[in-house]
Amino acid sequence: MARPDPSTRRRLVLGAALAGVPFARAARAQAARTVDMPFANGHRRLVAFPEKRPLIVLTTRPPQLETPFEVFNDGLITPNDAFFVRYHNAAIPTSVDPDRHVIKVGGVAAGKPYELTMAMLRRDFKPVEIVAVNQCSGNSRALFAPRVTGGQLGNGAMGNARWVGVPLKDVLARAEPKDGAREVTFDGLDQAVFGGGDFVKSLKIEHAMGDEPIVAWQMNGADLPMLNGFPVRLVVPGYYGTYWVKHLSAIDLVDRPFEGFWMKPAYRIPDNDCACVEPGTAPSATRPIGRFTVRSFITSLKEGAQVRAGQPLVVRGIAFDGGQGIREVAYSTDAGQSWRGARLGEDLGRFSFREFTFGFTPGAGAHDLRVRAWNRSGQSQPMEPLWQPAGYMRNVVESVKVVAA
Amino acid sequence: MKGYGMHLAPIAVRIACSAALAAAALWAGAALAAPKTIELPPDPEPLVASPLPGYAKAQGVCLACHSSEYMRYQPPNAARPYWDAMVKRMKAVFNAPIDEKDMPDIVDYLVKTYGNERPR
Repeated sequence: MARPDPSTRRRLVLGAALAGVPFARAARAQAARTVDMPFANGHRRLVAFPEKRPLIVLTTRPPQLETPFEVFNDGLITPNDAFFVRYHNAAIPTSVDPDRHVIKVGGVAAGKPYELTMAMLRRDFKPVEIVAVNQCSGNSRALFAPRVTGGQLGNGAMGNARWVGVPLKDVLARAEPKDGAREVTFDGLDQAVFGGGDFVKSLKIEHAMGDEPIVAWQMNGADLPMLNGFPVRLVVPGYYGTYWVKHLSAIDLVDRPFEGFWMKPAYRIPDNDCACVEPGTAPSATRPIGRFTVRSFITSLKEGAQVRAGQPLVVRGIAFDGGQGIREVAYSTDAGQSWRGARLGEDLGRFSFREFTFGFTPGAGAHDLRVRAWNRSGQSQPMEPLWQPAGYMRNVVESVKVVAA
Repeated sequence: MKGYGMHLAPIAVRIACSAALAAAALWAGAALAAPKTIELPPDPEPLVASPLPGYAKAQGVCLACHSSEYMRYQPPNAARPYWDAMVKRMKAVFNAPIDEKDMPDIVDYLVKTYGNERPR
């Protein structure tokens, strides 16, 4: 989580005002914007990429951008211009004509391959709308102890949006899947610079033909931002973002498990109940990463915040899980010694962020605030962090320490 | 690929590509809906200069595919086996044009510049 920066609000306004000026000038003007994340080697720049407000830059090429955490206190929906960005390869599309974009639907296990245009997608299928969180597998990786290598993200590689698209199962049904179809692979326009390691992902056929995944062209009532997959992307509610293939251009029904680099050995987790191992050790067996674990965050107070002693305070935050829906959020104001129930807010669906609030009147001194969520099947968050070598799936009960005076 | 512009890494390719992109944008002006076109910012910084022999070798092959933040932001405990595995992966998986004989020098430069053998 970003440390408090008293001038953030003013500088965000400045960033917005600069959005229309030529890039070089805007880049120079914003060059001074930086943030120190709460981990070693965490100095980062904030830069406004196309269609984006200034976001925390993990990498420039290919773009990997993290949402400043204060955005999550603004509402349940993450604005398109604040939504995180994650690419794997640098040859990404910078110009796409949606009228000429085609998704090739086929594969060895398709009885009737076809080419799907954006017009067909909008015209030939019944659209659905869903609010769903997208979260990077490696969200919060930099907070692992001991530290693990890879993209050093704070907690901002997640976002919640209202997606409009058509059920993937309907798109697949039109290709008349054969009985032998085992998995479905997804490729997008982004390419590897030297051809190796193209970003291709797969879902099991049962999942792909289920009710959840959609082929989406709209995000929060607008076209997808280019950096979030314009003109069409896969949305896999409850699943980590690695499966949400952007700029979707090929869908293949295949008759055996797909084992491209990004399914194996990349994006694997320890194959046990906790998806964890002893810190510093390697798992004996792995499986592909899947659904989100349960998470909850206080969003209205930052680490180290100063609050007024004796003054009633409403603390607000968000919780989410892999699709059961949040049943309960508990809070503690004494570092986890005692817990009470927080009030749940508006329910935008079981894949969405769920708001919670609780009242708290701090006495003078330091307070360690914690929140812990449960989903509808009783899964929750560990009090102590779980560890795995790839740095995925962090979901420990977080602590926010404030001082009342 | 008609109707698309791509961001390609090496500078020479990028210039050629933006010419193609401009042509594509012109062509698409006649189509039904305007294509969406973006311009990405340049890399913020080169590799950290070093007298180590791997510096010049890394300059060409590493930055051909990605910006230097990939190295710059690794945690302070990133040890030699990590850098070694990454350089090997870049060649084996991503076809990075790394000469086998240059690999030990590149790894040495990376771990001593961005990893846990960096002088502190």
